[in-house]
Amino acid sequence: MNKIMYLEFERCIGCKACQAACRECGGHDAKERNYVEYVDFMESRQTFPMLCMQCKDPACARVCPSNAIQITAEGVVLSAMEDKCIGCRNCTFGCPFGIPKFDFEENKMYKCDMCYDRTKHDISPMCASVCPSDAIRFIDFDEMQALRRRRTQMNLIEGKKPTEQDKWQYVPEFFGVYSD
Amino acid sequence: MNQFFAKEGVKNLHHEGEKLITTHCCYCGMQCGMHIRLNEKTGKVVGVEPRYDWPVTLGKMCPKGVTAYQTVDHEERITTPLIKKNGKFVAATWEEALDLIEKNYKQLQSKYGKDTLSVFGGVSMTNEKCYLVGKYARVALGTRYVDYNGRFCMSSAAGGFMKTLGTDRGSTFPWTELEHTDCFFLAGSNTAECHPTAIQWIWRAKDKGAKMIVVDPRETPTARIADVHLDLKSGTDSALANGMLHLLIREGYVDEEYVNERCNNFEDLKEKVTLFTPEYTSKLTGVSIEKLEKAAHIFGQAKKSVVMFARGVEQQSKGVDNVSLYTSMALLRGQIGKFASGVATFTGQGNGQGGREHGQKADALPGYRKIDNPEHVKYISSVWGIEPEEMPKAGVSAYEMFDEIENGNIRGMHVICSNPAVSAPNTEHIWAGFKKLDFMVVSDFFLSETAEFADVVLPAASWAEDEGTTTNTEGRVIRIRKVKDPVGESKTDWEIMKLIAERMGKGKYFPYENVPQIYEEFRLASKGGKADYYGITWDRIEKEDGVFWPCPSEDHPGTPTMFKEKFDTPNGKANLAVIDWRQPGEIPTVDYPLTLTTGRVVFHYLSGTQTRRIKFLMEQCPLPYAEMHPELASQYNLANGENIKLTTRRSSMELEVRLTKAIRNDHIFVPYHWGKELSVNQLTNPCLDPISRMPEYKVCAVKLQKA
Repeated sequence: MNKIMYLEFERCIGCKACQAACRECGGHDAKERNYVEYVDFMESRQTFPMLCMQCKDPACARVCPSNAIQITAEGVVLSAMEDKCIGCRNCTFGCPFGIPKFDFEENKMYKCDMCYDRTKHDISPMCASVCPSDAIRFIDFDEMQALRRRRTQMNLIEGKKPTEQDKWQYVPEFFGVYSD
Repeated sequence: MNQFFAKEGVKNLHHEGEKLITTHCCYCGMQCGMHIRLNEKTGKVVGVEPRYDWPVTLGKMCPKGVTAYQTVDHEERITTPLIKKNGKFVAATWEEALDLIEKNYKQLQSKYGKDTLSVFGGVSMTNEKCYLVGKYARVALGTRYVDYNGRFCMSSAAGGFMKTLGTDRGSTFPWTELEHTDCFFLAGSNTAECHPTAIQWIWRAKDKGAKMIVVDPRETPTARIADVHLDLKSGTDSALANGMLHLLIREGYVDEEYVNERCNNFEDLKEKVTLFTPEYTSKLTGVSIEKLEKAAHIFGQAKKSVVMFARGVEQQSKGVDNVSLYTSMALLRGQIGKFASGVATFTGQGNGQGGREHGQKADALPGYRKIDNPEHVKYISSVWGIEPEEMPKAGVSAYEMFDEIENGNIRGMHVICSNPAVSAPNTEHIWAGFKKLDFMVVSDFFLSETAEFADVVLPAASWAEDEGTTTNTEGRVIRIRKVKDPVGESKTDWEIMKLIAERMGKGKYFPYENVPQIYEEFRLASKGGKADYYGITWDRIEKEDGVFWPCPSEDHPGTPTMFKEKFDTPNGKANLAVIDWRQPGEIPTVDYPLTLTTGRVVFHYLSGTQTRRIKFLMEQCPLPYAEMHPELASQYNLANGENIKLTTRRSSMELEVRLTKAIRNDHIFVPYHWGKELSVNQLTNPCLDPISRMPEYKVCAVKLQKA
């Protein structure tokens, strides 16, 4: 996989096309694994997409007692392996982003696997493919770096203070996150 | 890889045992490119793949587009003709249904004359079918009463463009140029929710530094990202546009060379807008003077700018005025006919553009010809093989057809691909009309609210079960491909019209065996008209990623940018709009103190006949609601989630309150996608625009009570 996921929350229009498309991804059994939330509906229409951050050191995998959550060579954190998963739901409690969900009917967890069947061939994940406003993008690493630089420049021009803080320690290089 | 349009470097995931069929979404005017996944073994549609190589949308889809395929093999599809017996629908054969239609049509016509029958069309159909609706009404049934649901959607834009520019094409430029523009002026368009895939072009331009001005009483997801949000009172657009024209002139932003060479009426306009000072405009519209001035500076200083609008300004009793005035803003800046600039309207329905050009309108013939022009009638009669004297006269507009039912002039109606029981204003009047009809036929692929009134329901094929062309919001003619055969016994709309024409003894005028034959006749019928499709062949559409009309011959490249040299008016100059401001049909009073406005949510399409049957979309937005400002709610002592009763001069309904600061504190917004007691169109005002005959959905006076 040569490309990375890049999020730009300000662009999100709340259409949930990413959620609808996630259901369409092969093997997702019509269950979405990403979410769109309002920041504060009372104040504004600002929404944001909530995707699996594909953490470098994923809490979901760390708290899994049966080692069911595998991480691919590229760093993609997969859904729990069915034969290993014991249904304890530790992953759903452990994840700070609320990404892993538990299917009580099937008795198994499911989470975003970055459409691994697509991304391993460098085909964009369904959510990034359809996102009408490019709030979710699947792009080259260099492009992501350029976008981040430009964002910082634009913030300076527009008088906004860039607040990078230390989120990059938790998010791997192939996942570019930007938020105002 | 897909077998059509395959381009190097564009990868699609191809699942084993499946075929990818390249087509376009069935919903709005963006007509997003997509591949439909067809299981080769079962012959069922199983999913969708983005189409990354379609230049207008680049694989982007909204949630409706992603789930659109789910309607094709949906369990609620009508699969056999249905005949109403003792108030209940009973499955019937095509022979029985057609016998009944023939008997009733003939009886009614022999008793009351040919004009007693009427046809109500739609524009979620291909060009070929829209063209046939006009021919079917006028040749097969011989009636003057034909009109279509575009009257609720597009006709004010059409009227405004005709008046100012001489030809009505929804966009004067291709939207792939939008990323190079410097300024967007979006009026009455919630682009993010109604045409989501257009947002990517706005963002591309914004990334390069473009500015954006949005005119809307609500802070929609579109207005949220604007540099200036002009939060006007609904129905005051013509005042606002006049105010902008005043400021453009006052601040010296007029492109005088362009205006002198290419526009009429500049002196008159100058005089007219002297009244509309920022102070006066602000008083009328409720927008602050600072915002008005800032917007005028941004728009006036942009080298390349686009003025775009949608139903917010069109669905008013002065929609044509609004469109003409906003278009005049682009003319004053000398922007029409140039790269990455111009005017455009967002077409709401899939074929909102093509469907209005080919003779479904009460007063129109194919190729934007007029039914009251003897030359035009002569030409179309020769294409159809009838005598010019046989051509019926002009009828009445969509809403007015229901007045004719009430008067007893119309006694039979065939509704094709439309759901006026939900989408028309003042719906109780529409429901009463349907009940009064002696005989009613509906062709649709779901049992819509309108179909429930019918005596005979004919099962129509869905968008994926037929082929043809549509014209997207830019004016680009594109191909819709057949994915699979129609379910059950359903037939395509053109086959249905042909069968009924045969029963009416007019079969020789409908000799088609397939869609290409209709397309050939349709090309010929449009030849020489303003909307000339003659040079557009299916091969060219495939090779060139769609062709823009007008395209008069096969060696003509098509016309992506309109009006480069001259406008389509008699002297080749555009007509600047010199128009006073008028109040909307209803303004708030002591009895009805608030303003009600309606619109779409991103999860539903039009009357919801299709999207309300999709599980994902219903989960996101199952019911209509009343959106209002917390300040307004506190006046009525209302909390979020409480129920209220909204009452207008026509009817009342109950809704749940949703509070947000993203709306003016004197307005209430309700989405319109639901039927029966959930239909907000029970409340809306049928006050019509004098030119376009379009009703005033976007503003009416309303009162609020706690339920």
